Amino acid sequence: MVLTADIHLPEESELTVEEINLSTATLRAGSFHLGKYCEQANNEFMLCRFEENDPRKCINEGKAVTACSLEFFRKVKKACLAEFNQYTNCIDKIKPLYTFSIIINIVFSCRKTQGVFDKCMLENLNLERPPFGYFCEARVHETKRPKPPVEEKAVYPDATPGLPENAEKHPARFGSRFYWMTE
Amino acid sequence: MAEACQVARKQDLPPPGGYKPIPYKRLPAKQLFSGYTMFAGFLGITAVSSYLYYLTSKKITKQEIEMRSAKMAIYPMLLAERDREFLKQLRKNRDAEAELMRDVPGWEVGTYYGERVYKNLPPDTLVQPIFHEYYAHCNPTDWFQRAYIKLRS
Repeated sequence: MVLTADIHLPEESELTVEEINLSTATLRAGSFHLGKYCEQANNEFMLCRFEENDPRKCINEGKAVTACSLEFFRKVKKACLAEFNQYTNCIDKIKPLYTFSIIINIVFSCRKTQGVFDKCMLENLNLERPPFGYFCEARVHETKRPKPPVEEKAVYPDATPGLPENAEKHPARFGSRFYWMTE
Repeated sequence: MAEACQVARKQDLPPPGGYKPIPYKRLPAKQLFSGYTMFAGFLGITAVSSYLYYLTSKKITKQEIEMRSAKMAIYPMLLAERDREFLKQLRKNRDAEAELMRDVPGWEVGTYYGERVYKNLPPDTLVQPIFHEYYAHCNPTDWFQRAYIKLRS
């Protein structure tokens, strides 16, 4: 194994939080509103995760993401359970169409139930469905977390010294410095 | 013998009025379209189908973007959960190795008798173990399912 005793790994108790125990169809049904509701936490976590490139350093951000998602689904359960279940059921039962190895037709075949669900979310939770392609856009996120230091270029003490600035430059032997053309 | 030779003989001759003329004339297949019509038809069908292809590809691109949006919206949540599970498993793996190699003198966890794999990295760097190392201490059935069923399905 590459895991030496020096590597700090968090205890299991630090990592144990309430997880989201939901099915694929449920997550997919709630995905757009969930992304909008937890946008701040998600962006924070993803920025940390990709800047640090180390899962140990973003545990707290990850916990915030999970907590936010749980809160969202609890709110949905309280406000729009019937509509949400209807939409989830539609997504669950739809026959997916496999095109170019991408599952299509999951989200698009349930527009009617989706409309009902969207309306309920807008009325009760004041949460609008994000516009088309919202989560595919590049985004800028302001954070208070300090930027991780960039690894500096290695300096070798025994490197060959280069030519000095004022070194004499002889004219090229064959009239050109394009060596691949002349030699 | 002589009687046999006296049978009246009839010579095989053409029917009265002569044979019918031999049909040697070429009978080509009926031409539905002229060459120019076929060229025009090819161009027309190609144009129409290109337009339909354009419409369909636009529709599919839109669907893919929407599907990707849905995936990206829940990706942080899934990644957070996966990270926690991953770190828990790493700890379990390290503990299992320490337990397994307890009686071997000179063995240090994560090294080959004290020799580290990544010597130039700082000691606290987390290098993600490869697949076989990650599944080293688990049930072989789980390993097989993950390697040959889950990753290919």
